[in-house]
Amino acid sequence: MTDLSDPAEFRAALRAWLDENDLTPPPGDDSLDAHQAQHLRVLKALYDADWMRYGWPESAGGLGGPEILRAVVGEEIVGRGIDHPGPYSMLEVLTPTLIDYARPELAAQMVPRLLSGQESWCQGFSEPGSGSDLASLTTRAVHKGDQWIINGQKVWTSFAQYATRCVLLARTGDADTPNHEAISAFFVDLDTPGVTVRPLQTMHDVDEFCEVYFDDVAVPAERMLGNPGDGWRLAMDLLPYERSTCFWQRIAYLYSRFDALIAEVRGLGTASDSDLGDAYLALHTLRCRSRATQLRFADGQKLGPETSIDKVLLAGAEQTLYDTVRDLLPGAVELDNSAWRTEYLYSRAASIYGGTAEVQRNIIARRLLDLGKE
Amino acid sequence: MASELDLLEDGLRKTMLATSGAELDAALAELGWADMVSDMPEQAIPLVFRLLGETGSHASVLNDIVVTQTRGRELGEVPELPYAGGGWVVWDYSAGSNTTLGGLPLRRVDEGDPVRLVDARRAVGWWLVGSARAMLNLARQHALDRVQFGRPIAGFQAVRHRLAETLVAIEGAEAALDLPGDDNPDLTALLAKAAAGKAALTTAKHCQQVLGGIGFTAEHDLQHHVKRVLVLDGLLGSSRELTKRAGAGLRARGSAPRLANL
Repeated sequence: MTDLSDPAEFRAALRAWLDENDLTPPPGDDSLDAHQAQHLRVLKALYDADWMRYGWPESAGGLGGPEILRAVVGEEIVGRGIDHPGPYSMLEVLTPTLIDYARPELAAQMVPRLLSGQESWCQGFSEPGSGSDLASLTTRAVHKGDQWIINGQKVWTSFAQYATRCVLLARTGDADTPNHEAISAFFVDLDTPGVTVRPLQTMHDVDEFCEVYFDDVAVPAERMLGNPGDGWRLAMDLLPYERSTCFWQRIAYLYSRFDALIAEVRGLGTASDSDLGDAYLALHTLRCRSRATQLRFADGQKLGPETSIDKVLLAGAEQTLYDTVRDLLPGAVELDNSAWRTEYLYSRAASIYGGTAEVQRNIIARRLLDLGKE
Repeated sequence: MASELDLLEDGLRKTMLATSGAELDAALAELGWADMVSDMPEQAIPLVFRLLGETGSHASVLNDIVVTQTRGRELGEVPELPYAGGGWVVWDYSAGSNTTLGGLPLRRVDEGDPVRLVDARRAVGWWLVGSARAMLNLARQHALDRVQFGRPIAGFQAVRHRLAETLVAIEGAEAALDLPGDDNPDLTALLAKAAAGKAALTTAKHCQQVLGGIGFTAEHDLQHHVKRVLVLDGLLGSSRELTKRAGAGLRARGSAPRLANL
């Protein structure tokens, strides 16, 4: 009898299922539209076969069981190249937010749509004037009757062009309210009149990031997540998920790409050993650290500022890996239109998104080293 | 059990702060070192070697780890230990023969017999991160105490970020040292030693810079740790060599082993 609450047995069962149910992306189309179609297809298959439901509470359409099972699914799906880490990781930050902050009926209604690939959602946090200083955001929500009227602009909103709904942060407090109590969160339908989504063109030619404009967008009061002023806490509460299960599957993805590099450079002989070893040491160190974080999280411990160390290690390892790609495969990034080019360019953002490396070091200095204020 | 370990740690720390070298060997024997190595190596090795690093003390206990794990060797023997660059060293307390940086009683020898280095590499890894922790503590305290331009230099982001990078390096190495190596003990220990050596060298660089002039004086404790980690990085293979060896292994295997699993 297989004990699916045991991560090792769960993984073995999942691997057996994946070996029998081929979810490999169809070849020949590497567009973002194709990625999104594959993403939804994979989620539907995994949800129908229950794999996407383990580790989520029964109250939101899940099957219960330890949360670490989600990290196992992510590792297999992203590590095998079945889905891309970007879209897949959205599940891990959006679902806990809905479960923890939405009214239970709303979470029960909506979460299965996300997990089963019926819908995608996005996360509207950053603004043109509010990046590292997220608490300074200026998108406003004004209470009017049983609605909130929202005006403002978001940016770097990943996959908004495919999203049905958005978890949005907006300012509800007045000038006297402290920043961290002045922000509220909303679950906004993106087909509401007044919403405009415009993809940004980026340097790596994958237009996943969008600008999202809100012009007098009316949102029903029942779509507020939590209470007025809970928005900052909501944003902080999703960090543990982003820094545990999300990181684990991104690491799995980086290992799979490292395997591809190793295969491509086998002919180079000993000349590549030091560079391969350096990249491996960075990935291995990161994976050891992330494993310890997963286990602490699975043990019920609260994750806090120490996950900034995981974030710095991840950005460093990712950039080391792709620097190594460029060093060992001369021209692959610059002359050939290969996947390495896109990935190399995207890796430059690893120390920027999700909290810059500088912000992480500020947190480490202040909270972990207790160096006082700047 | 936790409190017993805490008591043991306190006792070991006091002993190491009071004595070093052959005297510390004798004191550790009194404290039951031989039983610790045979009965609870998974606790004893990280604890004792981390404390050697933190206190700046030294003892020949590494020899015991090596002979315990090498077939045909016995406790009390003094094995030749591999050193960076294909060299060999032995522990030698006799006066006048020691030219090793920072006072570690290691003497070069021409050749050595094969030894198994799984636990030994972990042990030196913990020694390295213990020393790195000591350097970080010194630099952190200095940053809080040292006033320039009218405020503690800990308030300057350039200083804070060096110390933050130091903590990232140390914590990463500790995670690598903590990983159980059941699937591939040799590679796991090799990578852990490489991570620890790299972290300690990074730490030495950042902390030396944060400590400025005082850290360059003989009266300040930093120099002991800087010299110690330079020597320990080379002992049983340098970070640079071990990393290259790991890379050769990847090429031969054709893929990267996932040693850390949930």
